[in-house]
Amino acid sequence: MAAPCVSCSAALSRRLFLGTRVVLARSQGLWKASAAGAQAGSGPQLSRLIHTTVVTTKKSVPASRREVYTEDFIKKQIEEFNLGKRHLANMMGEDPETFTQEDVDRAITYLFPSGLFEKRARPIMKHPEQIFPKQRAVQWGEDGRPFHFLFYTGKQSYYSLMHDIYGKILQVENQQNQLLPKSLLPENTEVLDLIGSRWLIKEELEEMLVEKLSDQDYTQLIRLLEKLGRLASGPAEQEFVSRFRRSLAVQSKRQEVPPVQHDAQGMPFSTGQGRRKTATAEAVVSGHGSGRIRVNGVDYLRYFPVMQDREQLMFPLHFLDRLGKHDVTCTVSGGGRSAQAGAIRLAVARALCSFVSEDEVEWMRQAGLLTTDPRVRERKKPGQEGARRKFTWKKR
Amino acid sequence: MAAAALRAVRAPALRSSCAGWRVPGLTPVRWSRYSPEFRDPLVDKEHYRKPVAELTEEEKYEQELKKTQLIKAAPATTTCSVFADPVISKFTNMMMKGGNKILARSLITQTLEAVKRKQFEKYRAASAEEQATIERNPYVIFHQALKNCEPVIGLVPILKGGHFYQVPVPLADRRRRFLAMKWMITECRENKHRRTLMPEKLSHELLQAFHNQGPVIKRKQDMHKMAEANRALAHYRWW
Repeated sequence: MAAPCVSCSAALSRRLFLGTRVVLARSQGLWKASAAGAQAGSGPQLSRLIHTTVVTTKKSVPASRREVYTEDFIKKQIEEFNLGKRHLANMMGEDPETFTQEDVDRAITYLFPSGLFEKRARPIMKHPEQIFPKQRAVQWGEDGRPFHFLFYTGKQSYYSLMHDIYGKILQVENQQNQLLPKSLLPENTEVLDLIGSRWLIKEELEEMLVEKLSDQDYTQLIRLLEKLGRLASGPAEQEFVSRFRRSLAVQSKRQEVPPVQHDAQGMPFSTGQGRRKTATAEAVVSGHGSGRIRVNGVDYLRYFPVMQDREQLMFPLHFLDRLGKHDVTCTVSGGGRSAQAGAIRLAVARALCSFVSEDEVEWMRQAGLLTTDPRVRERKKPGQEGARRKFTWKKR
Repeated sequence: MAAAALRAVRAPALRSSCAGWRVPGLTPVRWSRYSPEFRDPLVDKEHYRKPVAELTEEEKYEQELKKTQLIKAAPATTTCSVFADPVISKFTNMMMKGGNKILARSLITQTLEAVKRKQFEKYRAASAEEQATIERNPYVIFHQALKNCEPVIGLVPILKGGHFYQVPVPLADRRRRFLAMKWMITECRENKHRRTLMPEKLSHELLQAFHNQGPVIKRKQDMHKMAEANRALAHYRWW
């Protein structure tokens, strides 16, 4: 009779104890649990308590809220980071004063080489601002009264921003209405670079305002900003709107054009590499030629008996109207016939970039000739017959 | 699984005169190896050779916009050749069995050759006035035949009150083209003598469809008649 009572009281005390301590670290919880158990139970119960985990004893694990980092904690982290940066610079034999973040990254990859595929799982040493998520400071004073007049909307930064933008729009419209009868409208200066930049995406905006937004909120904000940008407003308003835009890289500038080389006879030629599925190809395109193509030492007509593959070889040359003007010698290995043809196509297109103007390189890119095809064979999954095909469903 | 299927879209550069607003958010992308921001390639040579003076404002804007966009790789079946036809490519893919593209393509080539031969025989045997009406280009015949086979209205089973009713419904363009090709292929596979080869049968069916005769046209007309008969159920459609 006594033993069951003791054990059930031990369990109860354990559960009660654990129920009150939610936020503490798991290791602390375990020790406390074992300590509580030691008080309540005897030998065998003590050993049982030590080996249990917090998760299995709890009935339901509540979802953990985001850790709240205090300002002092963040400040301490920043000090530690700066100190650590100086130590790292010393270790690497560099000058601590001019040790930039790129140097830090390089040093960490050197000291802690990691083969993990997920880049975010590798060891990093970055400024705490980038690691700890931005959190809001306390929004109300000691008397409990909030600082911001829109606090009770729930999304004070968002609504105050909308308020500001609308105020600016009204202001600009008023100015224009005053100038309109005098017909003194200024020229419509559209400083907004509609092509080279894009609006902030919802995630970036949430990060900026440190508030959760819904899709409709985001849509409304972008609509208002567009309206403000479209009005003939002064440079101050344009600058305000451009704060919500990010620049887009011009993709055509990113193409790496291989340099034209010259062989012993002075003939210009250029090399390009290409990959498709598991096939890799290297093509040497000569500047002056009669349109002969040799693949792995064999004429292309014999190497690719299928018409579709030969069309693919022809594609970049035909696109640039240079069919009979270049000689191609290429080596290819791996993959199947279609993959090899695709790899050679990419290699030839890349090699041709060096003989051709920038505009034509951009045309080739827009025709899809200069992009490596990322599609590879999808793996077979366990419990299925193939990558997508499931086993035949049997009722019984 | 749902998280993998849906990915956030990077909001593209928007035009100031954009009328139809797309809600920026999650666009379903069913496991494509390309990111959602990749655009489809445009292979037409003439489109790029147009002189700058001839472009309208819209086109100039489109050109500038395209320079900032990432483009997918061109598929292995497309070329800028004049002989490349998207309709023929689609038809070849639908004819293909087990990934045997070589066989499918050779069948189509033989079919087009057979169509051309038959038309030339008719041409040689015809008088001068009839010769003007005989079409000899197999590509023209192919396109016209498939266009003749496209149904205008289709039937969709809608569940109402525990019963499935066949409700007449307008079809999208791509659905119509698909149905035309599917009916043609099914007809040629199933209703032929064991000894006749596919090119022969297919060329025969194409020529019949070109003249608005034959079993595929009949199937299309049956579909239209059923839709007409079930006219009363049209109000079951809610889209």
